[in-house]
Amino acid sequence: MKVVVDYDLCEANAVCMRILPEVFQVDDKDSLNILIEHPPESMRGKLKEAVRLCPRQAISIEED
Amino acid sequence: MSQRSFVDLDLSDPDSFAGGFPHAYFRALRREDPVHWNDTRHLVERNGRGFWDITRYQDVKMMSRNPMLFSSSEGGTNIFELHGDDLHGSRSMMINMDPPQHVKYRRLVAHNFTPRMIEKLEGHIRELAREIVDSIAERGSCDFIMDVAAQLPMKTIMEIVGVPEEDQQRLFDLSNKLVGFDDPEYQGSFDEGRMAAAEVAMYGQKLSDLVAECPMNNLASALYHGKVDGQSLDPLQYNYFFLMLMVAGNETTRTMTAHGMRLLMENPDQRRKLVENPALIPNAVEEFLRYNPPVMSFRRTLTDDYELRGKTLRKGDKVILWYPSANRDEEVFADPDRFDVTRQIPEHLGLGIGEHYCLGASFARAQLRSIFTELLTRVPDMEPAGPIRYLRSNFINGIKEMPVRYTPAARSQPARTDEASQSSPAPAGCPFHQGPQGQASA
Repeated sequence: MKVVVDYDLCEANAVCMRILPEVFQVDDKDSLNILIEHPPESMRGKLKEAVRLCPRQAISIEED
Repeated sequence: MSQRSFVDLDLSDPDSFAGGFPHAYFRALRREDPVHWNDTRHLVERNGRGFWDITRYQDVKMMSRNPMLFSSSEGGTNIFELHGDDLHGSRSMMINMDPPQHVKYRRLVAHNFTPRMIEKLEGHIRELAREIVDSIAERGSCDFIMDVAAQLPMKTIMEIVGVPEEDQQRLFDLSNKLVGFDDPEYQGSFDEGRMAAAEVAMYGQKLSDLVAECPMNNLASALYHGKVDGQSLDPLQYNYFFLMLMVAGNETTRTMTAHGMRLLMENPDQRRKLVENPALIPNAVEEFLRYNPPVMSFRRTLTDDYELRGKTLRKGDKVILWYPSANRDEEVFADPDRFDVTRQIPEHLGLGIGEHYCLGASFARAQLRSIFTELLTRVPDMEPAGPIRYLRSNFINGIKEMPVRYTPAARSQPARTDEASQSSPAPAGCPFHQGPQGQASA
């Protein structure tokens, strides 16, 4: 699966980083960096939580 | 057709909210008719022929994340209808825009409102909260609305925008008229509200003149010097942006502060938990937002037909998103009518979600944390001292007056002789005022 972020929506709320810091990193310039673009299946649960809880709904999962 | 247990309420009539948000009615709607056609009988010319009441969490969320289909621009975001110049003017406000324009406008100021940027203001916000509680601490009684709840949102939004001290009271009085447009006490007619809006918008002109000469680290300056599609905002766009910030930043946080204190006074066992463990206050703020969101409704207009739960919503239909109902949705929240400051679910819709998620969410949360920490540590036994007077509205869950009494407490520092004006220069390093006028010391 692939993590996709809509950067027109992302506003560095960093809820995703709290949930899954291995994948989502908001740096000190308020930029979101995706650390693992194709995370392992074991992370799907946390990824779905990040998708659900992002206040701007900026994250989606694409299946390869 | 199955029997309904409820009688229709016309929610375009603010008197439907006279006894508080009609939770029992919405409970029945969620159960029996979650996408409910609301015929408008109240001021039809103003409110239109009717709209769909959207009552379920998943539906409010779905519409919020789909701005192209559920438009904020098409008919604006109020329950009532706007026409001609009023509608055109309203589309100059970011809240009534759709992508791609909405994205470009929001980007002008969004970087000022991130959690990281707001965290830099936390110390100063806490200091302002301390001063506000100082101003009532020794009295033993006050009107919680004007003396406490209204103060911090006004001070902080005006500081972050960059409104000079001497203009703040007038702007505060004007912005009261803008949301209370259905309440005869705040304004006599729709026209008075329109005039107040015009006056606030014109003040934006004065502000833009100030920052044109003197770029500052504030929102007035960011709006002035920022560009949309390579162009500066024209005066109308600038002034309406300013107007929107004044409205959004004032009444809502005031209302949440008032309801939060009301809920704590009504639930002393819950308050005791916070007094004993102030680390719970941030979570309590989330439960305030879930249980009593200050914004009850926003409107969207369909740009195409849409089938939802067996109903056909037509292109051009109006839908009203009812946030207090979404926040009590039994499918999402266990025992939703129980007020519990220790509740762990963070995903309420009290600040919206998606494209128009509250721009000031972190800002509001910082203010609420600060004011409740000050109140609960210094005047923890606050109780009602008279009847609560509610705003007449189907939009904002406002409280106009809430007399309270409490054991007098000490000030944190002696009153200054010029306390009313508080015109001391901003402290060195104050993030609101860095710039040519208030250069932070090295």
